[in-house]
Amino acid sequence: MFGMWDAVLFHLGPLPVDHLIVTEWAIILLLGVFAATATKKMELVPTGLQNGIEWIVTFTYDFFTSLIDNEDAAKTWAPLLSTFFMFIIISNYSGLIPGAAHVSGFQPPTSNWNVTATLALITATTVQIAGFKAHGLHYLGHFISPNPLMLPLNLLEEITHPLSLTVRLFGNIFGEEMVYAFMLYMVPFLIPTALMALSLLLGGIQAIVFTLLSANYIAASTGHGH
Amino acid sequence: MEMGLALGAAIAVSFAGLGGGVGMGQAGGKAVEAIARQPEAGGDIRTLVFITFAFIETLTIYGLVIAFMLVQKIQ
Repeated sequence: MFGMWDAVLFHLGPLPVDHLIVTEWAIILLLGVFAATATKKMELVPTGLQNGIEWIVTFTYDFFTSLIDNEDAAKTWAPLLSTFFMFIIISNYSGLIPGAAHVSGFQPPTSNWNVTATLALITATTVQIAGFKAHGLHYLGHFISPNPLMLPLNLLEEITHPLSLTVRLFGNIFGEEMVYAFMLYMVPFLIPTALMALSLLLGGIQAIVFTLLSANYIAASTGHGH
Repeated sequence: MEMGLALGAAIAVSFAGLGGGVGMGQAGGKAVEAIARQPEAGGDIRTLVFITFAFIETLTIYGLVIAFMLVQKIQ
């Protein structure tokens, strides 16, 4: 649909590989290399890169464990949520790299339906798995709480959660990119810089919101409240 | 036809923005009031108000997406 021009670079077996997937690979590679170099020579008293990555890990870990009241679930799923956060924030900011707009066909991966839908589906699957892991078969009981009449609504909720996650991230980043492009078209100098600063803030907030809501859904399915 | 599409897009995004703006203003104002009254609860309130904003904003974004869909049909 939006921004899905035919940009298939090559085929990997039956799967077409387009510019978005290549950008995602680059982001994954960046994160992987960063993590590998930072933890290559681990020391008890961290310095330099190790210090930075330990700060990121402990900060996100404390944040998610304070949000998810089931301790085991928080410990299990905090790495996934931290990875979500880092991946989304880097791909949101990838549109701001100087010269990025000159690469033909480049766009931030999160400004496309398919990428955000994939991330939201991962969250939705994780929520179900986490629920079954925490409560066993009793988890199914939450679909008919407070009474069986609510079953359709509860099922609908499981569908609307990933849908709203998809549309929120996609709409924000795509909208921001569109506004930015339009602004550049009208005023080519100086003025769009203010908008760039705003989109720095926006990209960060959207990454936080996505992971915060994912953590909330996991907390709801693993909590003892039902 | 094109006129209608353009007007539809404008109406969709403006009403979505209007409603979302009023809602966010109320929620944000109350959150600031709450933090000013009880600064030690600031962390919790901040997290909650972020989630609230996210939900309000989704509705606005729905309007924006509809507007994009309509604008794409104008050729």
